[in-house]
Amino acid sequence: MRIAKVIGSVLLNRSHASLARAQFKLAIPLSLDELRDPSDPQGDSIVVYDELHAGVGNLIAVSEGCEAAQPFYPDLKPVDAYNAAILDRIDIDNSI
Amino acid sequence: MLYARIVGTATSTVKHVSLAGWKLLVAQPLAADHKSSEGDPVLVVDQLGAGVGSLVMITGDCQGNRELLGDNSTPVCWSVLGLEDERPR
Repeated sequence: MRIAKVIGSVLLNRSHASLARAQFKLAIPLSLDELRDPSDPQGDSIVVYDELHAGVGNLIAVSEGCEAAQPFYPDLKPVDAYNAAILDRIDIDNSI
Repeated sequence: MLYARIVGTATSTVKHVSLAGWKLLVAQPLAADHKSSEGDPVLVVDQLGAGVGSLVMITGDCQGNRELLGDNSTPVCWSVLGLEDERPR
């Protein structure tokens, strides 16, 4: 699960039937340097399926790949980025 | 499996139910020279007592992580599989 910063939300006009009533957020995964100062992330943004109602500016744990569709087990959803947790606090040891 | 260094800790209250009670650490995968970083840091689930600064082996095996957490619907991708013994300086 990578750490990403939420920068906005995504509203779908038409989507796959299984994605009805789904909420999507736009988030940018952070590198280690950006994690120490997450004010201006530069990475590519990804769309994340969100059930925890993360707000803009929150740091979230993004599960990607086959694990992202696992929370809907046994249903199947075409999801490859899932918001697993809203992070309250991250302490990075700057001496490393 | 990746060779990584634990660079920090993370706490979260609003999260997927399968993460409840598990320690979350921030691990930075290392390149072949075991010093420079490679890729973005990842959140790992830990039960072996890894601390900040320790060198660990993390696994991305989703089936193994589901068995570790005992939950078939967990979104956890990475978990600590082993701690490296401290090298004599």
